[in-house]
Amino acid sequence: MEPTFKKSDKIFRFTVGERVAHWSHAISFFILLFTGLGMISMFFRPAVGIVGGIDVARNIHRVVAVLFVVVFVVNLFIGEGGRNVRAWVREILAFDKKDLAHFMIFPFEFFGLHRPYPPQGKFNGGEKFNSALMITGMVCLVITGFMMWFPTAIPRVILQWAYPAHAGFALLLTAVLLAHLYLSLLHPDSNQALKGMFNGYVPAKFAYEHYEKWYYKVKSEENVKEQAKREIAADG
Amino acid sequence: MTTRKLVFTDTSLCTGCKACSVACKAWNDLPPEKTDFVTSYQVQKETTAKTWTYISFHEKFANGKMTMRMFKHQCYHCADPSCMKACSSDAIYKTESGYTLIDHDKCIGCGYCVSSCPWEVPMVDPETKKSYKCTGCIDRVENGMLPACAFTCQPGAIQFGEYNEMIKKARIRLAEVLEFYPNANLYGEKLMGGTNYVYLLLDKPDTYGLPKNPSTPWSLTLWKSVIHPLGGVAIGAAALAVIAGVASNAALGNYRAKKENAENSHMEGGE
Ligand code: HEM
Repeated sequence: MEPTFKKSDKIFRFTVGERVAHWSHAISFFILLFTGLGMISMFFRPAVGIVGGIDVARNIHRVVAVLFVVVFVVNLFIGEGGRNVRAWVREILAFDKKDLAHFMIFPFEFFGLHRPYPPQGKFNGGEKFNSALMITGMVCLVITGFMMWFPTAIPRVILQWAYPAHAGFALLLTAVLLAHLYLSLLHPDSNQALKGMFNGYVPAKFAYEHYEKWYYKVKSEENVKEQAKREIAADG
Repeated sequence: MTTRKLVFTDTSLCTGCKACSVACKAWNDLPPEKTDFVTSYQVQKETTAKTWTYISFHEKFANGKMTMRMFKHQCYHCADPSCMKACSSDAIYKTESGYTLIDHDKCIGCGYCVSSCPWEVPMVDPETKKSYKCTGCIDRVENGMLPACAFTCQPGAIQFGEYNEMIKKARIRLAEVLEFYPNANLYGEKLMGGTNYVYLLLDKPDTYGLPKNPSTPWSLTLWKSVIHPLGGVAIGAAALAVIAGVASNAALGNYRAKKENAENSHMEGGE
């Protein structure tokens, strides 16, 4: 049976730790991209003038890279948020049939053509793909980035390949990011998810329509919790 | 009109006196550096930001005879230089006379040239944060003087002149030397688009520790000629997809439908 929803019905999606992971990455990515573009082409070089020139931009690139890695890694091991971020990585690795089914309808949904929506877990197939690209890309960017930072510390041939890898992943992830920004800001259906990244809650109706499996899982967990509460109250 | 120049180093004449290295430092105002014992007479391992040329020594003992080969290292001034391709700041350029030069007002010391040169010539000075290498004494050459090293070279091993004349001279000299050194060869003429410093070697390049076929690293071509333009195309394609997505959602009335939906649920008193 279809559940009915009031507009105010909300469902908790992202803990503080998950939001820290998302926004620390988002902010660092933009800064790293902006300062990196100053290196990639003389076309963008004048733009880094607003931070004080290319020398400053290169220092910012390094400082933000370190800050990002530290914040992200530390956050990974703090409390429930950290646990959930780790669970997110595990979920991506468990890419299954339902995710593939989402993948097939994704091009239609992207352009606003509706197709029967296959029930999804906490993250849908498209999100898993996006996340997988981001994680792989960022790990490679961090590794190659530190190689480029300390060029004499590593064999020359490896360094020579680090440059195209760093530029390639940066540009690939930027292309992926554009699609991500569209879905989170401009797409009429999926942009409701944005609220979850600010205050942690998404509309229940949205959750049900887009993440049915996850929706029922949360609901049943809530029931278990309430049941436990009632029992404790009865005991007391 | 400026014409292409060539520095021809005839290693059969070199005595290993290192005066070229000193003359280079004197003219270019480069301070001495602490040297190391590398091998026999050699005290310098590589070119540095402050040592633009040095001699390497290669001993060989065969048939009860000792031979010593010398080689003068410096920038080769390639016609198609990797460093220029790698440069992030358009700081490296070619002159009509064939020299590869670094504009230090533009150089930011990123080191992309350092890791791209097949001979590992340019180096970034950790203090000034700029990349340095042999300039070919462009300031002397353009004013009708010999490069400092050639001017100093006492046995006349370093020879300077018009490209065509010098390359002819080099070939004639090679023919003479081949009689006594069957492995002798000209090194540089066909490398990296043709270098503007060409050597007469008495033996195969690897006996001097030189790469036999120095070339533009594949990684550099991939980086600058494939990844950069392809990345731009990928980002452009993504941007087009976003525009198409917004347009098709608007055309399908999805934005309007959503707004109405929101208003309806409001009236139901959901809030
Ligand atoms: C997180 C760890 C990272 C580190 C340690 C790092 C480090 C570096 C270093 C050392 C350089 C060489 C340029 C220079 O010497 O200033 C560089 C270039 C660059 N970085 Fe990063 N980076 C990191 C992440 C990123 C990310 C996430 C992006 C993109 C969003 C990015 C984009 C770029 C770009 C576009 C270049 C220029 C590449 C080229 O010239 O082709 N970097 N990075």
